[in-house]
Amino acid sequence: MGLQGDFYQLLKEQGYEFGLSGQAGAGQQLTTATTILAFKYREGVLVAGDRRATAGNMVMYDRTDKVLEIDRYSVMAIAGVPATAYEMARILEHSFKYYRRTQLQELSFEGKLRSLSKLLKENVAAALAGTGAVAPIFAGYDPGQEAAKIYFYDILGAEFEGVEYAVSGSGSSTIRGILHYLNTWGEQPLNAMPEEQATVQALRLLTSAAEFDSATGGVNREAGLYPVIKLITAGGVRMMPDLQLRSLFESKVSRSA
Amino acid sequence: MYEEPYRWVEAVGNRRQYLDDQLKEGTPVVGVAYERGILLMTMSKGTPKLYEIYDRLALGGMGHPADLERLRFNLLEMAHVEGFNRSASDVTGSRLVKYGIAPVVKQAFEEVFKAPFIVKILLAELGQKAGKDGFLTINYDGTFEEKSQYAVLAATSVVEQKMIEYLRQQSMVSLKDAVDVAICTWAVGDRAQRLALEDGEGHDEAKTGANQQLIDAGTLYAHLRRCMVEKTVECALLDRHVQGPSKYRTLEADELGTVFPTDLSPSLT
Repeated sequence: MGLQGDFYQLLKEQGYEFGLSGQAGAGQQLTTATTILAFKYREGVLVAGDRRATAGNMVMYDRTDKVLEIDRYSVMAIAGVPATAYEMARILEHSFKYYRRTQLQELSFEGKLRSLSKLLKENVAAALAGTGAVAPIFAGYDPGQEAAKIYFYDILGAEFEGVEYAVSGSGSSTIRGILHYLNTWGEQPLNAMPEEQATVQALRLLTSAAEFDSATGGVNREAGLYPVIKLITAGGVRMMPDLQLRSLFESKVSRSA
Repeated sequence: MYEEPYRWVEAVGNRRQYLDDQLKEGTPVVGVAYERGILLMTMSKGTPKLYEIYDRLALGGMGHPADLERLRFNLLEMAHVEGFNRSASDVTGSRLVKYGIAPVVKQAFEEVFKAPFIVKILLAELGQKAGKDGFLTINYDGTFEEKSQYAVLAATSVVEQKMIEYLRQQSMVSLKDAVDVAICTWAVGDRAQRLALEDGEGHDEAKTGANQQLIDAGTLYAHLRRCMVEKTVECALLDRHVQGPSKYRTLEADELGTVFPTDLSPSLT
């Protein structure tokens, strides 16, 4: 019966197939998503993403949510092909719920990481064919160990721990250096920053990424479009409201303020 | 020999007797709707009897734990696959029961060479707004009933009727009201079952609901105090005010203490 509590296995038994065929979309310009970041701050972990989705040099959508809440304590930020990434997120969300409800206990943080790793490995053919590459960041708060955790993955499913921070997507090279600088020589390390300061840094980092990477969307004040920023603490996942982002952007980020 | 119609009817009748006998010492389950959602309540000895099924669905059951587990897994599988393939809004208690487990339970009941499910099930479904909450109960023979406001499970339909009669006279607004009404209803059912067991079918109070109004709160509380010595109160909520899609939560001891009737609070520890 359901001793394993494995929802993905259950889906497969019912004929579900995850992943696109390796050759189906080769040569097409696929929609991709761009800059995501996560870093530990004083109370937990902050995960942020810009909102632009592109296909080649075309902006497909500028309201994409790339920071997906998987359960009360974990978030997956996506860079790569959204179709595949959203499907992964849906599978994970159902898997974690199914495990909790069947086994009457939460899946461990390590178990959650393993679930994502398995999905990425099943997606290798599509990733290598260029039709479904996803390089996500998985971050969350482990209530058992009372610690914030960040992991990032390559498109083949290799798992790496981001001890203090992690970045992914086409704009990540720009902000990786800034994060290193801030964490090493800033007034205080990232993990000592209070929530507001951490949020301001995330806004500045994504604005910098947008400056140098056309596939990363910046802040669009006229349209009221701000990055998605989610904070995960011992109390669970919380989304930073747009009103607060607007206020912080205008007072601490915009040079015209 | 069961190929003969009469033998088959006789065999099914025997199963009914067998199942009634197996369930006679089962623990009643009570479900009541209140302003914030639905409260499910029972008392258990170790093995839990209340479970989360899906975002807005909860299960209460009585009977054999292994059979309850099998049906719980059936429900969980159906609900999650449906929620994944379609959407959470398409996972409804009505569909899960009518097209899912009720036919399975009925088939097991009527296949006289196989073991039936020794269970009764109560499925609670939280509506999008107050007044839209619902309940489904499934008997061991696969018959099901849809109810609103409240529903109960007990060893016999006579006991269930007594509990419903008691519930009809109550009003539930707050969680405190709901807990008080639920535990008293449970006591009405459990007390009636015990009387029936002690005195057999001939016991007047066990057989009819006529003198239900005579059972005062003091008698019910005294019965509850005795039961709480050996059993644990189990309460679960489908709470409309819980953040996020999953509305199920259990009432842990600390919170239960704040909403439990003052007279009974010391028995909780």
